[in-house]
Amino acid sequence: MESHLASNGIVAALFLAAGVTVWMVRRSRLWSSAFVSLWRRRRFALLVTGVYVAVALLDSVAWVGGDSLAVDTVARHEARSVIDRVFGGNQEKSYSAPFAEAEFYGGGDLRYPGRHWLGTDMIGRDIFYLTLKGARVALLIGGLTSLIAIPLALLFGISAGYFGGRIDDVVFFLMTTLASMPGLLLLIALIMVMGKSTLAVCVALAVTGWVGFCRVSRGETLKLRELEFVSAARSLGVSEFQIVMRHILPNLMHLVIITFVLMFSGLVLSEAILSWLGIGVDGSWGQMIDQARNELSRDPIVWWNIAASGTALFGLILAVNFVGDALRDVLDPRTIEDER
Amino acid sequence: MTLMSTCSAARLLGLTSIWALAWVACNNNPYPPTEAGEKVLYSSFREAPRSLDPAVAYDTGAHAITGSVYDTLLEYHYLKRPYELIPGLATDLPTQRPGQAGYTVYGFSLRPGMVYENDPAFSLGMPGRMTREIVSADVAFELCRLADPAVNSPVVEPFSNIQGFQEFGQALTQRREEDLAFSNLPVHEQYAALGGIEGVKSVGDHGLEVSVRSDYPQIQYWFAMPFTSPVPWEAIAFYDGEEGRPRFADHPIASGPYRLQHYDRQSRMVLEANPNWYGAVHPEWAAPGAVYPSQGAPGDLEAGLLAPEWAGKPLPFIDRVEFRREKEAIPYFNKFLQGYYDAAGVIKESFDQVIDEGGLSADMEEMGIRLEKGVEPTIFYIGFNLDDDTVGRPGGERARRLRQAMSLVIDSEEYTRIFTNGRGIPAQSPLPPGLFGYDEAYANPYRSVDLERARELMVEADYPQGIDPNTGKPLTLSFDTYDTSAQGLLQYRFFTDAWRQLGIDVKVEATNYNQFQEKVRNGAYQIFMWGWVADYPDPENFLFLLWSDLARSKSGGPNTANFMNDRFDDLYLSMKSRPNGAEREAEIKEMREILEVERPWIELFHREDYALFQGWLENVKPFGMSFPMTKYRDLDPAERTSLRKDWNRPVVWPIWVGLVLLIALIVPGVMTFMRERQ
Repeated sequence: MESHLASNGIVAALFLAAGVTVWMVRRSRLWSSAFVSLWRRRRFALLVTGVYVAVALLDSVAWVGGDSLAVDTVARHEARSVIDRVFGGNQEKSYSAPFAEAEFYGGGDLRYPGRHWLGTDMIGRDIFYLTLKGARVALLIGGLTSLIAIPLALLFGISAGYFGGRIDDVVFFLMTTLASMPGLLLLIALIMVMGKSTLAVCVALAVTGWVGFCRVSRGETLKLRELEFVSAARSLGVSEFQIVMRHILPNLMHLVIITFVLMFSGLVLSEAILSWLGIGVDGSWGQMIDQARNELSRDPIVWWNIAASGTALFGLILAVNFVGDALRDVLDPRTIEDER
Repeated sequence: MTLMSTCSAARLLGLTSIWALAWVACNNNPYPPTEAGEKVLYSSFREAPRSLDPAVAYDTGAHAITGSVYDTLLEYHYLKRPYELIPGLATDLPTQRPGQAGYTVYGFSLRPGMVYENDPAFSLGMPGRMTREIVSADVAFELCRLADPAVNSPVVEPFSNIQGFQEFGQALTQRREEDLAFSNLPVHEQYAALGGIEGVKSVGDHGLEVSVRSDYPQIQYWFAMPFTSPVPWEAIAFYDGEEGRPRFADHPIASGPYRLQHYDRQSRMVLEANPNWYGAVHPEWAAPGAVYPSQGAPGDLEAGLLAPEWAGKPLPFIDRVEFRREKEAIPYFNKFLQGYYDAAGVIKESFDQVIDEGGLSADMEEMGIRLEKGVEPTIFYIGFNLDDDTVGRPGGERARRLRQAMSLVIDSEEYTRIFTNGRGIPAQSPLPPGLFGYDEAYANPYRSVDLERARELMVEADYPQGIDPNTGKPLTLSFDTYDTSAQGLLQYRFFTDAWRQLGIDVKVEATNYNQFQEKVRNGAYQIFMWGWVADYPDPENFLFLLWSDLARSKSGGPNTANFMNDRFDDLYLSMKSRPNGAEREAEIKEMREILEVERPWIELFHREDYALFQGWLENVKPFGMSFPMTKYRDLDPAERTSLRKDWNRPVVWPIWVGLVLLIALIVPGVMTFMRERQ
């Protein structure tokens, strides 16, 4: 019942983290010049991503009560987010087209004629509202999964690359085993075992998704550990853990950021595929597309549901991919050299 | 060398494809042209039936074959409603006399002189013999097969009302375990060694007496289903699936109006009129099951169902039935529109193209296609688990008011409109139309939408505005389901949204089937949605779903709502064995009143079947049971041929346009080539 408090807490933590990041970026010459260059290259994509994030955050801040008597009793006792309060609560009976004044089939009266900018779905929910709600789910899937997968990949990758020997063998065996299994089947099996929930989907995606980055971080660590400053630290008697934390990890940071951004869009897409198989996350765009699957073969056609969710999904992924590409250019040492 | 051969192969391929294209362009008829003038019914199947064994086959797909191939002792009247039984293989409806205490003996007598279809299996009894007479021992043999646990029949439960039925099955299992020599005998010898089922006796060659518990007169309906068809022991002994012989499940030997002539599970099944059928051999009998009825239900005469060309004429009219495999709905429907199938269901994808405000669209009407709507003997309902503390019996009067309130906000009409394209009629009680005890005038006061009254009831139930006084928060219930599809979730949303209006927060708990089953086993469920399709048209077959002896928590029975009401049970037991009449009607009415107030179910709707028939198909009356009524149908092949020609005029202009475009593409190339050569 207290999930909305946790959600609020996470939003607060995110703001804090964002503040710290901004402060640190401004302090470091390298990072702030990277950001400036990124902004110069992909201003629009950054703004679009920002809008998605803003919507998701607005949907994550929720509280109980404090609004009009117009909504039903259940809603009054539920934690409702800013998005719910502003855009929710305009339910119809069934399909209506965007801006329509009457129902799509049968032409019955609407409760809120002309107010559904993107129409309504089969049971009369406003598509615009549902599309906005999908942003939070998409970011949650992308964010949470990366949060599980990237540390996992770093842990295995660095230990394999830095210590080598047996550890390397074990990690490599694990990676090849996972990589040789059909990803989608493994995903389905994991979700079946863990039950269907947002967390289960995220964990399943993370378990199948960490291998790629693990390989990269292992390779990079292999290279880094032979460099002079690492040898110097080692001969000065710095402990292995200290070396990893002080010299290896910071030098992997740009890879982490690039991977995070690129992985993110892949994850959101994977979820859409899972939804299509009927094991996705409740309220995601993938699920909306799945629900709308049969609508395209209706006659007359109902297009707005799939169009809205598809466009929202497409927009987010395109923007994030642009940002990711730009980030790669900006953070990759070789391209930085070129620019100067 | 290799290059050469590839070239010629490509040329060959190109040539063949051009020829194939030319051939297809001329004609899209999937059937041989020689069939055009024949009375062949074209039908389809999606998946081949798993088994054609009459003791096992229990789905619509299999019944399409077994229902035509196997004849039964009794049958349903083709036209009369409410459904009525007529004699089939039997000379008359069964006689009834009291037997041992609590049992009634049903006496059937088979017509003498009926034979099976020709089959080499009959040489087992006498070398060179191709067929033999149908005797009552064959029916007894089939009943033994139903009881045989090795056959694994899905309908053991209703037949357990036959005296000694279960004991026979147990004795059989026991003997087989103890005695290896016994278990190696052919099954008919095993059955004979045990003396058959105690309550089933054949009297002479043609008499059969079945002793059934007196409170189950519905057994008669089971004698109108292929489960009780006569099966020759030779068929089981011969078709054992060994040494290249097919299994009996794939090779029926029967006596019905049609015989299975061709059976290819991947693509094609063909039925042809059985020359050995008693209707064909002995037209002078004019047996009720072998002639078209001359009387029907009101309205049949006007509908042309009793026209003189058919009334009283010997069956069957159609000589052959072709089933072609169609895996996808849309191509199947398109072939129907081209005239290559004679009947079709209305598929969801093109519903609005076909149906216009409950009737046929103008386009379809013009093609002469007919729409037949029939309410199936079904009920879909939301049930409450009455063992539950909040919504069930322990909650007392409060829970009853809650159930009443929840029932008052579910709009069945809206539900069918949104989710089933309006196919379904709102249910007022468990009994669908066409059944004895259905009352068209009856309107359940708790099954119309009345939000005001529902809110009052919530106050009376001490949940004012849905607030549970114990917690100060809205009442939270769970709706348990195993349907996790996106479409399914929308359906449940529809219900939970309705209940939200009362301030009740119903959470949908969608789990996989195993978890759901476990919840049901443990009684850990509150609200569920379920459907029931009747096996036979008797009110008992619906009301037993609420009989306390069959409660899920008591006996694992189908009464998932765990409804237990003494008065209802008394009425049920008394109604069950009573013949249709005023007394039975009064009892059903009282049961209905109990359900009305107690609300173990929120009755949603009775499903309606929309079927499309081509204009040339005649004598079509929708039949709610899942048996094919092919032998009563007729068709006009000449009209079909001419209409098919009309509907399938080749469209030639795209070929010319394509040709012109192709030339337009090639000419500049050739010109350039010529210029460069110069």
